[in-house]
Amino acid sequence: MAHVSDLISTDIEQYLKAHERKGLLRFITCGSVDDGKSTLIGRLLFESKMLFEDQLAAIEADSKKFGTQGDEIDFALLVDGLAAEREQGITIDVAYRFFSTDRRKFIVADTPGHEQYTRNMVTGASTADAAILMVDARKGILIQTRRHSYLMSLIGIRHIVVAINKMDLVDYSEKTYNRIVEEYRTFARQVGIENVTFIPMSAFKGDNITSHSERMPWFHGTTLMGYLETVELDEERLQQGAFRMPVQWVNRPNLDFRGFAGSIASGVVRPGDRIRVQPSGKESTIARIVTHDGDLEQAVAGQSITLTLADEIDISRGDVISGIAAPAETADQFEATIVWMHEEPLLPGRPYLLKIGTRTVTAQVSEIKYQVNVNTLEHTAAKKLELNAIGVCNLTLDRAIAFDPYEVNQDTGGLILIDRMTNSTVGAGMLKFALRRSQNIHMQHVDVDKDARSAAKAQKPCLLWLTGLSGAGKSTIANLVEKKLHARGQHTYLLDGDNVRHGLNRDLGFTDADRVENIRRVAEVARLMVDAGLIVLSAFISPFRSERDMARALVGEGEFLEVFIDTPLNVAEDRDPKGLYKKARRGELKNFTGIDSAYEAPENAEIHIDTTQQTPDQAAEMIVAVLKERGMLVG
Amino acid sequence: MIKHLSPEELNKRRHLAVQRRIDGATVADAAKQAGLSAPTVIAAYKAFVAGGWAGVDVKPRGRKTGSGRSLDPDSEQTLLQHLFAPSAQACLDSAGLWQADGILDWVQAQLGVALTGRSLTRLLQQWQLSAPELKATLAASPPSTALQRWSKDQLKPLEARLRKQGGTLLWGGLRRIVNPLDGKPCYQLYVHAGRARQFWLLSEQPPLSGLYQAFFERLLAAFDGPVGLVFHGAQLSREPKIQDWLTCHDTSFRLLAMPAQAPSASRKVSTQTTLASRAAPGSRIAHTDRSRTTMALTHLQRLEAESIHIMREVVAEAENPVMLYSIGKDSAVMLHLAMKAFAPSLPPFPLLHVDTRWKFREMYSFRDKMVQDLGMDLLVHTNPEGIEKDVNPFTHGSAIHTDIMKTEGLKQALGKYGFDAAFGGARRDEEKSRAKERIFSFRSAQHRWDPKDQRPELWKLYNSRKHKGESIRVFPLSNWTELDIWQYIYLEGIPIVPLYYSAERPVVERDGALIMVDDERMPLQPGEVPMMRKVRFRTLGCYPLTGAVESDADTLPAIIQEMLLTKTSERQGRVIDHDSAASMEKKKQEGYF
Repeated sequence: MAHVSDLISTDIEQYLKAHERKGLLRFITCGSVDDGKSTLIGRLLFESKMLFEDQLAAIEADSKKFGTQGDEIDFALLVDGLAAEREQGITIDVAYRFFSTDRRKFIVADTPGHEQYTRNMVTGASTADAAILMVDARKGILIQTRRHSYLMSLIGIRHIVVAINKMDLVDYSEKTYNRIVEEYRTFARQVGIENVTFIPMSAFKGDNITSHSERMPWFHGTTLMGYLETVELDEERLQQGAFRMPVQWVNRPNLDFRGFAGSIASGVVRPGDRIRVQPSGKESTIARIVTHDGDLEQAVAGQSITLTLADEIDISRGDVISGIAAPAETADQFEATIVWMHEEPLLPGRPYLLKIGTRTVTAQVSEIKYQVNVNTLEHTAAKKLELNAIGVCNLTLDRAIAFDPYEVNQDTGGLILIDRMTNSTVGAGMLKFALRRSQNIHMQHVDVDKDARSAAKAQKPCLLWLTGLSGAGKSTIANLVEKKLHARGQHTYLLDGDNVRHGLNRDLGFTDADRVENIRRVAEVARLMVDAGLIVLSAFISPFRSERDMARALVGEGEFLEVFIDTPLNVAEDRDPKGLYKKARRGELKNFTGIDSAYEAPENAEIHIDTTQQTPDQAAEMIVAVLKERGMLVG
Repeated sequence: MIKHLSPEELNKRRHLAVQRRIDGATVADAAKQAGLSAPTVIAAYKAFVAGGWAGVDVKPRGRKTGSGRSLDPDSEQTLLQHLFAPSAQACLDSAGLWQADGILDWVQAQLGVALTGRSLTRLLQQWQLSAPELKATLAASPPSTALQRWSKDQLKPLEARLRKQGGTLLWGGLRRIVNPLDGKPCYQLYVHAGRARQFWLLSEQPPLSGLYQAFFERLLAAFDGPVGLVFHGAQLSREPKIQDWLTCHDTSFRLLAMPAQAPSASRKVSTQTTLASRAAPGSRIAHTDRSRTTMALTHLQRLEAESIHIMREVVAEAENPVMLYSIGKDSAVMLHLAMKAFAPSLPPFPLLHVDTRWKFREMYSFRDKMVQDLGMDLLVHTNPEGIEKDVNPFTHGSAIHTDIMKTEGLKQALGKYGFDAAFGGARRDEEKSRAKERIFSFRSAQHRWDPKDQRPELWKLYNSRKHKGESIRVFPLSNWTELDIWQYIYLEGIPIVPLYYSAERPVVERDGALIMVDDERMPLQPGEVPMMRKVRFRTLGCYPLTGAVESDADTLPAIIQEMLLTKTSERQGRVIDHDSAASMEKKKQEGYF
């Protein structure tokens, strides 16, 4: 049915002409493990004649080997790809399939139904215009159905079709169908899903897929294929929006040409349009829309183009070019929904890289406001987000960016978070709005600066960051160093882990999340003291590399000296000056570094002290010597 | 050599040569003494005979700027100011309208330059004064029912009546342009008569009814007989004064409003705008109304935009990218997209061909021609170990040949040049394990792929950060299907290796596959005699490993037709896929692209 197949053999050029004009719909299928997603996709491929005979033959052979459908062709085998999952009989990742009908071309993202794979579903849905939600007619609405619906609404899919599958196994009962529809409607209202279409079908038998089923004469709605061929594409909505183009690459073939390449995220652009470059705020006029095939008179959302401007203004990758009538907002603090996608949990205060549009900045989650239970939609308090958790958070960036709320524009409001150590993509986020305080708080310029303050003290300020296991000797050595510096007349301050926890940080515990916050606060305090011109010593276990790097990034180049007090665990445990190791071993102390919480040793510490070889006094001498050598002690 | 003489020096020599001729020297001698060619000497002497010593001197070569038929910058500026000056009247024609003839006269009179019509046209185009011809625009625009009905019901009767009365049909309208003097908008009322003659008036403000009336009156004066005007760009039916005037001039002047682009045509340019019919430079169509129009993109436009986006991301974020070029049709499309992504620059990366030494000869010559035509850098790498041991598909078998020459060769080349990102032309529809591969696919320092540890790819956000030693394979064609590739080649006219087209070629039949005897290295088995068969290739690799199919398809549509009607999938021609269902996946984990 699907192709104008007759044209292929009779008038191929006419066929090509028709095919060339087809639009593209991307959709996602989701459902629980045995709801029949793979069977449905296999069926769609089969019905649109996208299968070759050799593929069908291979499938028939495989059906006998792995199939779950007896002697009939198991369409699911068409789409279950990787060897590992084939043996398990389930899909574990996002797979993309392609087919076309007379009216449209389709890209299907096939995603798994397991709870632990929220991340795959969000990934597949992020590029989809529509979603097919599979429901097993025998089972009705399950927890997973609710979860998938919530995810689809979260990711902003505007068109959802609930495919009530396996109608053949409930005798094509209208009553069953109506019951499921009613149940889903009630739920959809709670989540705020508006555009829902219901279709009773059997992917296995082919009912209501491409033609109306004679076995369900009571159903008068559209068939699944009919729905997919006519549902509205998101691109039309985006083209009606305000003009946005994140600059990807500056094209400079010679001194006379300076083009800004990018994909239009929304709106329409023409030569002569006034634009604003964000976040800098500079304005200019579009001179040309350059493409390889000649200049364009107009370009729309979805196209990749190169713009030139009438004025020479400074624009680089990551900037956003906006129409002047409705420019994007700029801010550096946001409320955002975060989907966590990594085994390492999200910890507030830990710095991550954030990529939005074409810009990458450093960002921290300053606060998790609440976590959403995807099954019950309840809000719960959370100090961290585990894999597949979804939370509403406050985000703080190291500089302002141009953005739109995600629900307005996915390309200027969607972001990913990247771990700075492993480079993994660890989270996805959707910006909701800018926090007002980021628009109202500006840095105040002061005349007496760090240089002036430190000159008065005849020293160069710095931050000596002592890290090591509990009992390694950090406090002892730090204390000796401070005494020696003080004797030389230097201005110093020692921030000690235990002492700070009695005051500034007494509200914090020892979970990973609290440890990160502990270090963040100390690093900020240390930064102020360095700014005051002091030589600051900090003695904290500070077990995580990324927080130490955050502290390093807070102070100036060359002002951070990481001092690794290297004591093997067994030595520290033998010393056990505060009896903590014994407590931890007895299980009375949770999250104790070295016992049941990790210590990430520094890789490139400026100063490395081996306490099994050096006495505390030798160590202190060595540190002072390094300070002299680096010119910190001017006097 | 004489060409490079200054006029002074040349004239000195001509005088000398003429003097020698007068003195009775032969042409050859005079030429020798003066250092000129014989014809020059003859010409100089003739000129002397005709015009005396004054005639001997040559005129300065070329025209002095400003004195000949083009304008110097100052005069150009004067003309520009004159054309856009609000009160300028001087070069209006007798009817009080601007037109090219009047301007030419003015330039002749005021600036003393006999400007050519063509030079003026160029200037008018540059200053946006030359309006697109509405009639041509209409003819070029796709038929919409509303326009067709209008044409049949209104335009045709008007044309017929004017023909009978000996009148003139004009096409014109109102358009907004930019005054090049101050960058402010300015309005042009214009009409086109036959033979590309254009008449116009300018106004700094949107014209009021008085200006329309004056314009119409002057048109009436300029043409004999009744005038019909097809008008576009302003709604005049609601202007009572204009309507009154039109009623008064009912017999001599007919105004026919052209429908604003029919709703279906302007809202959805979709069906008309195809990749092939994009406006070329210079053929811009000025839109008289500035309202924004949405445009549904075709699936190929969306795929194209996505691929270009991906390539630019890699170039912006990777340190040392390269594009793998396998000479096949997918490579051809990928290269074409790269040319588009970075135009007007060349793609800022080289091409890399990992050569197994067993490609078809036509592939090598095609490769070299493409690289030369486009001006791209090409690196060719062949595994030296393979050369040393003379690895080939015949004695070593396909598996070892592929492993050593392709997989190992690729790893070596990437390592040798330190490439950290490599574009490949693989598509997700090719094979099941590809369907799940990301667009950005990371390889460890040992070039291994771990299907369990892939980064999620959301929206258009690709995370290209990697550790030292790691590299990325990037697949910009991931979402293209085989049909898309062929259709795009067809639409864009992308050159492909002729082996894809059917032709008589020498082949032998082995294990059910037709193998082409491409060169003398192919060992023939006893009794095997190459036969000429009409064959083509659906996929191109090493010739001993690539089976041909018998076919008559020697045009792109025929190839596409054959592909759509064939019932076996593309990769079947490749020997490497036949082992087991999961073979490709294993190969990829080991580093095969």
